[in-house]
Amino acid sequence: MRENSRKGWDAVVLNPIDELATALRHLKAGEVVRFRVGDQPCELIMKTDVALCHKFVVRDVVAGEKLRKYGEVVAGASESIEAGAHAHVHNIKSLRAVQK
Amino acid sequence: MDQFLGYVRPDGQVGVRNHLLVLSATGLTGPTGRRISQALPGAVFVAMPYDGGLLGEDRDAQIRTLVGFGVNPNVGAVLMIGGNPPKLDHLAKEMSKSGKPIDSISMDECDHDAITLTERSIRVGAKLLLKISKQRRVSCPLSKFFLGLECGRSDPSSGLVSNPMLGLIADRIVDEGGKAVFGETTEWLGAEHLLAKRGATPTVEQAILDAVLDSENRAIEAGLDLTGENPGPTNIAGGLSTIEEKSLGNIAKSGSRPIQSVLKYAEAPATPGLHAMHAATYAPESVSGFTASGANLILFTTGQGNSFVNLISPTIKISANPDTEARIKEQLDFTCPDVFSGEVSLEDAAPRFLELIIDVASGTKTWGEVLGEGEEVVSRFGGSL
Repeated sequence: MRENSRKGWDAVVLNPIDELATALRHLKAGEVVRFRVGDQPCELIMKTDVALCHKFVVRDVVAGEKLRKYGEVVAGASESIEAGAHAHVHNIKSLRAVQK
Repeated sequence: MDQFLGYVRPDGQVGVRNHLLVLSATGLTGPTGRRISQALPGAVFVAMPYDGGLLGEDRDAQIRTLVGFGVNPNVGAVLMIGGNPPKLDHLAKEMSKSGKPIDSISMDECDHDAITLTERSIRVGAKLLLKISKQRRVSCPLSKFFLGLECGRSDPSSGLVSNPMLGLIADRIVDEGGKAVFGETTEWLGAEHLLAKRGATPTVEQAILDAVLDSENRAIEAGLDLTGENPGPTNIAGGLSTIEEKSLGNIAKSGSRPIQSVLKYAEAPATPGLHAMHAATYAPESVSGFTASGANLILFTTGQGNSFVNLISPTIKISANPDTEARIKEQLDFTCPDVFSGEVSLEDAAPRFLELIIDVASGTKTWGEVLGEGEEVVSRFGGSL
């Protein structure tokens, strides 16, 4: 756990290879949010609102891309998603227990 | 050295509570058992709703669970009721290996008259209550903890903070020589490669992968789309999007120590250390499996709030979600939004949580106990004959 990666920041990226960030407060479309990727401070303009604990992508992703959190693949993008946009069940999907 | 005050049982296990367990071993005597327990203040009541026609794993799991509840160290004595002597005698014989007072009365011995069974049971139960009230708590090492690790109505705060917090505590108890168990196999999907690596032997590694495959295949065969089911609607509203994301948060509860075995539902572990139970994910079933396997304390994380607690073992609720902490005041025994925000580190908050666990183990009530929320719910595996 990177405790100091959260204090005073708006979102957390748990592993530098992650595409998905988790909001540490309620984030508003249009606002500039600050988070760290590894030790690197980053800023991003939010494309959509993202509620506390919900996720957004930190870079543009295309449909079909595998998305990571905790440094592990947790979903596939079901459509292209712009950096700073909410990533949730409407645009990312589980890759497990998929019907044959 | 950290110690807690517990009830030492004849078999060397230590209880953190001293219950008289009124146990109805068959659905036929459930209502009578409830009436008996109501006449015995302080007794806890568990009804097994099934009996005749159980097959295969259901039959085995029912026996394991009934015996497991009886020998759980939080139980000081058992008053069991049921239909006929052969089954009760078998269960009582198994429970008696714990060295605790076990009494049983069957309907056959009461001419199948519920009022006669009630009267005789109250007399026997009253004697048992008096007997166990003579027991005293004594100072015990943390190696006598057997933690059941559960989460319910999780959100990403669970995976970020509360579950890793349980992991730290589980590591500490395992290092002291105690036991811990985690389950909820479906919530290993997407994280099984990380769990399997921690198998103490190649057999355990394979058993972890097999358990996950079994759960995944059963979901596929049932035509189930896990999204919407697990993660469920509350998880999704809270921000969890997929089972993989939920699982990676879930397994943080298990800490970092080697996994000694994969247990069947309600199976008691043969050794100290950390164990995985291949079992249902639904919290009431999962936690009863832990209690029947011998867990004397349940640590239960929640993101969005979850009022369910176990009956036999005190269930300590923890959340790190600042909104949930503000919303629910009489449910969460431990909150750490300061860890979520990063003001306090997980490692700095863990001793505060361990102190609460020791207090509860020594007799301080949980919110769930104060409010009388406890219940036991035993898994079913197939249909009855």
